Amino acid sequence: MKRFTDWLLRRSTVWLLLAIFLIGSFVIWWLNIPLIEDMFTVGAITLIMVMGFQMFMGNSGILSWSFVGYVGIGAFVSAICSMQPQLKSMQIPVMYDVLVKIHMPFPVALVVGAVVAALIAAVIAWPLMRLSDAVGAITQFALLIVINVLLAQWQEVTNGPRTFTLGGTRLTTFWVAVLVAAASIVVAYFFKESSWGLRLRASRDDRYAATATGVNVIAMRYVAYVISAAIGAIAGGLYSHYILSITAASFYMSQLFQIMSMVVIGGSMSVSGAFFGTVLVTLADQGLRQFEFFLTQQGANAYGITEIVLAILMILFLILRPGGIAGGRELSLAGLAGRGRKRKQKREQEEPLEPDTTD
Amino acid sequence: MTHTATLELTGLGKSFAGLKAVDDVSLRLATGEILGLIGPNGSGKTTLINIMTGLLPKTTGTVVIDGTDVSRYPAYRVARAGLARTFQTIRLFKNLTCLENVEEGAVGVGVGRRQAVVRARDLLAEVGLTDSSNKLARELTFGDQRRLEIARALAAQPKFLLLDEPAAGLNEEETDALLQYLKPLPALKHIGILIVDHDMRLMMSLCDRLHVLNYGRTIAEGTPGQVQNDPQVIEAYLGSEAKAHA
Repeated sequence: MKRFTDWLLRRSTVWLLLAIFLIGSFVIWWLNIPLIEDMFTVGAITLIMVMGFQMFMGNSGILSWSFVGYVGIGAFVSAICSMQPQLKSMQIPVMYDVLVKIHMPFPVALVVGAVVAALIAAVIAWPLMRLSDAVGAITQFALLIVINVLLAQWQEVTNGPRTFTLGGTRLTTFWVAVLVAAASIVVAYFFKESSWGLRLRASRDDRYAATATGVNVIAMRYVAYVISAAIGAIAGGLYSHYILSITAASFYMSQLFQIMSMVVIGGSMSVSGAFFGTVLVTLADQGLRQFEFFLTQQGANAYGITEIVLAILMILFLILRPGGIAGGRELSLAGLAGRGRKRKQKREQEEPLEPDTTD
Repeated sequence: MTHTATLELTGLGKSFAGLKAVDDVSLRLATGEILGLIGPNGSGKTTLINIMTGLLPKTTGTVVIDGTDVSRYPAYRVARAGLARTFQTIRLFKNLTCLENVEEGAVGVGVGRRQAVVRARDLLAEVGLTDSSNKLARELTFGDQRRLEIARALAAQPKFLLLDEPAAGLNEEETDALLQYLKPLPALKHIGILIVDHDMRLMMSLCDRLHVLNYGRTIAEGTPGQVQNDPQVIEAYLGSEAKAHA
């Protein structure tokens, strides 16, 4: 029993994050306002993307531009797998016959999407993992363009530049999104704390020192990159089965920029940071959109103000607080207790206690 | 249990665009002893450490650890074969806690997380950093960072420990503490230590043997007493005029 409570305490980060997220979900579900439920579902799907992104970028320190490409691969692959053949041949007349014939249940389709993305990542990533810093970022960026061009032009698979409409009902429900997002928090946290995660974080801080302590840096990056691509693809599959009509453009710069701003503002080096970054940026995003709408109604042309404000916020964070809000720290019971103690000590120092009269 | 392992370098060399930074260096170190590597600035000491650990590719020569030829191993496998090191410019994992830094030293060579924590706690206690366990490495003072780096290297339970200028930047008191800590270490942990440093007082009292390099070549090897009186060593350190005056 004691061992169990110790374990709970040591892993308090993940329980706290799950508690906050699930309580939030219950409140939203109980409120039962369709518009808010809709925003929350999209937010939960975004959270999965952020967790997948943090897993590679946060632990390895390599800016993974290509990530959103895998989200797109997952979105298209799972949609192709789950759609009714008749519907497919109607919506996308040019599609390969082999693909038209495929039909499988939604959960299986999600997994297939993840596996395809992971395989593609596994084939491409080995040479890329040798690169970090600016060179790494540029090759990652080039890879994203390659994936995007494929998604946008391969019309026998993705319907090319035209919209890919899934039709039917939303298979991604509120609770499906919430549960997968909760699982993604658990996976991201336990990966970070695993021995692989520790080695990868070590290589992020100092590649040579990590090598000198026996870490095969490229292999660790590779593993994280492939898992990260799989998680991104699952998020993509949930996204396409929620929005129901997608194009390659849905998985490009603006989506990547959103994920990146969440991770940078929250703090990429911790799961808590990525989590709160997602919450904060989602709220700010929605607030700003309302404001933008309001201004436009007043006759001002305020289109794009949301993106501008978020971009400025991200730049300010990069300059003033590169570690993000969390600065690499995790939310934990011990941390909260420590902060309480510190505050109390500070108070006691500021206002000395009553003079001691007992002696 | 108390089998004596050896680290053997044979004919090691490294050229940078024709310049021989390390030229045909051979040395031998057994567990239980401390070998000092000295030489004037630029004599190739750090390069030698970098090529023996595989961090830099070597031009010639072989490195054998306890019978295993690691000459062609990538750096991480050399570390796993039992060669741990510290760096002249401290290289810690700045955003990890002290405990995680030392844990990584064990996890890096393949030790499980649970066992690594136990080792890390013991080592932090040993170097006197228990109170800083949960601090980030970058928050430590310079002297503490040096000790943390040694603890991290020891966490791998290596056969051989390479210390690249561990006393650089330490004051006299801290250097003495380092000496007190290192002196019994080979017998205690059954390791061999190869140490590079410019602090001659430290090197003379710490090392069993000294190996002297100049312009990448071995110019002398022997006990501190022998090396101190070697005319070639005196010349390398003080210049040929000193010899003329002597």
